[in-house]
Amino acid sequence: MNQSARLERRYRRLLACYPRAFRRENEDEILAVLLACAQDGQQRPGLAASADLIKGAIRMRLRMAGRPPRTVRAAIRLMWAGAAAELAVLVTVIVTAGSVRSAVARRYPGLPAAQHAVNVNLVTDYIGASIGIAVWLVLIWALVRGRDRARIALMANFGAMSLSMIIAIGQDSAAYAPADLIAGAVEWLIALAATVLLFTGTSSRYYRPEPRPVTPWRGTFGSM
Amino acid sequence: MQEATYLILTALAAGSQHGYGIIADVTEISGGRVSLRAGTLYTALDRLKTDGLVAVDREEIVENRLRRYYRLTPGGEKRLTAEAARLHANANAAMRRLRPGLAGGQA
Repeated sequence: MNQSARLERRYRRLLACYPRAFRRENEDEILAVLLACAQDGQQRPGLAASADLIKGAIRMRLRMAGRPPRTVRAAIRLMWAGAAAELAVLVTVIVTAGSVRSAVARRYPGLPAAQHAVNVNLVTDYIGASIGIAVWLVLIWALVRGRDRARIALMANFGAMSLSMIIAIGQDSAAYAPADLIAGAVEWLIALAATVLLFTGTSSRYYRPEPRPVTPWRGTFGSM
Repeated sequence: MQEATYLILTALAAGSQHGYGIIADVTEISGGRVSLRAGTLYTALDRLKTDGLVAVDREEIVENRLRRYYRLTPGGEKRLTAEAARLHANANAAMRRLRPGLAGGQA
C-alpha cells in the first residue's frame, strides 16, 4: 500500500465519525481536499487536522434539524444542565463513598449487615446515576434530530422522576438526604421546565410540521 | 456571524470556488491569520447550504477526485453585504474615537 493510500484510509477512518447522510454526500470531496492539503510523504493525519475533523463531526451530530424555535433550544440547554447535574451526583457519590462506608462502620461496628446495605445502596446509586446521564443524553440526541417521540419519552421520564420523588419523600428514604433530595429536586425542576417548553405551541409546530396541502384531484373518471 | 463564516462568504463573493480554493483564498484574505481546516470548512458549508446562503454551483472530476464548486446565493450576497456594512460601521466608529481629528475621514 503506498503512502497516499495509507493516508486516505486513515482519513476515511476519521470521516467515519460524521453522520452517514453527510458522509454519503461529502466524503469523497472532503477527502480530496484533505489529500490536497497533505504534505509530501505524509502518512498520518496531523493532530490538528484530526482534532478539527472530530470537532466537526461532533458539531454535525449535535446540530439541530432545521431551524429550531427558541423554546426548543432552551429546553435542550436545560437538558444538558440536567445531564451535568446527574454527572455531579455520580461524581459526588464516588468521591464520598469511602467516608460514607467508614462513617457507617464507626456507627455500627461489628454489624456486617449495615456495611452490606451501604455497599448495595452505593452500587444502586452508581447504576442509577449512570442510567440517568444516559437517558438525558439519548433524549437530547433524539430531540436535536427532531424526533417527536422523544418528547413523549421526556414526559414519561418526568413522570417516572415525579413518582420516584413522591415514593422517596413518602418513605423518608433519601440515602443522601438532604443533598440527595436537593439533587433530585433540581433535576425534577429541570425536567419539568424542559417538558413544558417542548410542549408549547411553538415547539409542537417544530416537531409536528403542518402537512403540505394536498392538491385536489381534478381529473375525471370518464365522461358521465 | 463567526469570522470563519464571514471569510468563507467573502471568498465566494467574487465567484464560485471549490473546497481547496476556499481554504487558500481565506488564508489570503485574512493575510495568513486564519487557516481554515477541512472539518471546519465543510461543517460551515453544510450550515450555509441549509440556511440558503450558499449553493453547489457545479461538480468536476479532476484526477479521479470529486471537485465541487460552491457559489453565493442572492440571500448569501445580501447577508454578506449587511455583515460587511455592520463591520465597516463598527470600524469607522472605533477609528473616529481613536483619532478624533480624522472624524469623517478614512477608516
